[in-house]
Amino acid sequence: MATFREPSLPTGKFVDPTPAPAESAHPEVGSTSAPLKSAAFFIGAYCKDYNEDFMLCKDENNDPAHCLKEGRKVTRCAMDLITKLRENCEKEWVAHYQCLEKNNQEYYACRKQERTFNECVFSKLNLEKVIPGASGTPIHLRKDTIYN
Amino acid sequence: MSAVPQQELPRPGGFPEIRYKRYLPKIGPSGFALFTGITLMCTVGLYRVGQGTLERRELEREKVWSRLHLIPMLQAEVDRDTYRREVAAKARDAETMKDVADWKDEPVYNSKRYNAKTFMTTP
Repeated sequence: MATFREPSLPTGKFVDPTPAPAESAHPEVGSTSAPLKSAAFFIGAYCKDYNEDFMLCKDENNDPAHCLKEGRKVTRCAMDLITKLRENCEKEWVAHYQCLEKNNQEYYACRKQERTFNECVFSKLNLEKVIPGASGTPIHLRKDTIYN
Repeated sequence: MSAVPQQELPRPGGFPEIRYKRYLPKIGPSGFALFTGITLMCTVGLYRVGQGTLERRELEREKVWSRLHLIPMLQAEVDRDTYRREVAAKARDAETMKDVADWKDEPVYNSKRYNAKTFMTTP
């Protein structure tokens, strides 16, 4: 049910109007893709423990009911980071994700904005963008690139 | 009759030169220069193609990692929604089948493993 399927004999798109039961009700992050892509590495760094705990729980049992508690922690952590980013580096963040919006969400097209954003986040929140397993200089730190 | 044999010789002053090729002015770089230049150009170009491939690989890895970092958050959201829909669907099924005494809401598979539902009844 994660994917939307047309029911048989459909009369239109079915959206379940039932409100969430108390044990699973939680506010959602509610962000669009570009801000998330812009902040992805910081979400990964800031929420590492919660994310890993959640994924290990999912590995244990794929039932959505099994990992609701861990999932709430993951969402709360992401929301917490987004609040912090908005408090500390909103201008740089907005500049970066608007650039991503305009450039088909390609990182390489927005290195200039990304650098100022990364510097701001590193100075204010002490979070660093690290791409695991990079060969040589990480791609986001290279000065002369072919794709830019 | 002289003892010296007579041989036919060119006329005094020689014959004029016969024009058998076109005398075109030499223009442009020499063949060697062209060959060297084109080889150099191709080498540099192919080197940059290679560097671009390596760079594209790194960009792809960056993209994949950005998505990997977002997966738990998105999956948590989807899980909550799926859980909500499943609870609602179960309640609907129970409501429909409340008059059937031996009806039990259990999975069709003889297993404890979770299976995402293929069909659901809609109101």
